[in-house]
Amino acid sequence: MSNPAPEPDFLTSEERALAASFLDLGHVILPVERPDLLARMRALIAAAAAAHLGLPAPSDDGGFLDTIHQRVDGGGLNGLRLAVIEAVGRESWFRPAYYALARQALGHLVGNEMAMQRRLGLSVQLPGDASSLLPVHADVWDGDSAYEVVAWLPLVDCFATKSMYILPLDKDRAVQARLADFAQGSAEDLYRAVEGDARFLDVPFGSILLFTQTAMHGNRINLEPSTRWSMNCRFKSLLSPYADKRLGEFFEPITIRPATRMGMDYRLPGGFDG
Amino acid sequence: MAETRGYRGYIGSRPYFGQRAPQHVQNLVVRDYCRRLEAEYLLSVTEYAMPGCFIMLEEALRELPRIGGIVLYSLFMLPEAKDRRRALYDRVLGQGASLHGAVEGIAIATEADIARVEDIWAVHQLTWTRAAP
Repeated sequence: MSNPAPEPDFLTSEERALAASFLDLGHVILPVERPDLLARMRALIAAAAAAHLGLPAPSDDGGFLDTIHQRVDGGGLNGLRLAVIEAVGRESWFRPAYYALARQALGHLVGNEMAMQRRLGLSVQLPGDASSLLPVHADVWDGDSAYEVVAWLPLVDCFATKSMYILPLDKDRAVQARLADFAQGSAEDLYRAVEGDARFLDVPFGSILLFTQTAMHGNRINLEPSTRWSMNCRFKSLLSPYADKRLGEFFEPITIRPATRMGMDYRLPGGFDG
Repeated sequence: MAETRGYRGYIGSRPYFGQRAPQHVQNLVVRDYCRRLEAEYLLSVTEYAMPGCFIMLEEALRELPRIGGIVLYSLFMLPEAKDRRRALYDRVLGQGASLHGAVEGIAIATEADIARVEDIWAVHQLTWTRAAP
């Protein structure tokens, strides 16, 4: 007798595996789905950085970005960052490309009707520079919705202190339950309390990190000999609750499906007076 | 207040007295206030969304020995309890610094300023409560 076919399920085994990993760790690290687009995005950024510094577009984008600290110091860093983010903002293909890097995974984790952050974030962290630090925090404390996922994209290999850290969910929830105990303390006091559990993530170029911003995370001084370049963008299910980061000012719908459009446009017939 | 020490911006991520403004708009208002008063603007800290939480304001207060003061997006982001506000004024003035409300365009640098702001606060709390449904 042959084996019966497996019972059908609402979720595929791939969706189940990804969801289990995300729910367990609060993050997943995956290969980007479109390496060709990632290469194009990085080339644009490297060329914009070079142009700001009065240099020709580099032949080795990764090497140029990794060693940018040889060409700019902390004082010039914000000007460089703003010049690059302005160059990115001028390219209408850049945000669709960003989404395409993790389109399937975001579909599995978030949904297939999506709102996307309008302005992409860019972090450049020079070795030893203390001016670009994000103290330990959860974005939901700052007005982001708990329904969002951050897509964190390294433009160079990010590891150890050149990367970001995040707390495992079980440790995170235990500390958040007593966060009010830290009301009179500093962010550094809070970091000291969680330091032993913080995990610095190894996110090489060519991969993308998807994490929940309900978990505490941040970065420290980059003690590695090369510069961190990373981008970040928030995605959320279009019709899930919004917090202080609203549609229009912060988010924009990117994949409204036809049935939703139909529903938004439809009005029940009126004119009845009985 | 043209001084060499910078002024730390302070914006919020929750409604205050039922009012909210987008964070980038709050930053514009704070930055413009600093510009008009020829004060160096230091990138704003953003208060957390949890009601009654002032963790980030505490962070800014801890900087007082090194900065000229704090520019709040609005004076109505201060703690609602009068004694907590009083303690906060004392910490700021005790460090030789000042506190500012950018929307209101009001600075607190003296005891007289505190009295003026407390009058505004008292009336605001009264009228807001009565106007609420």
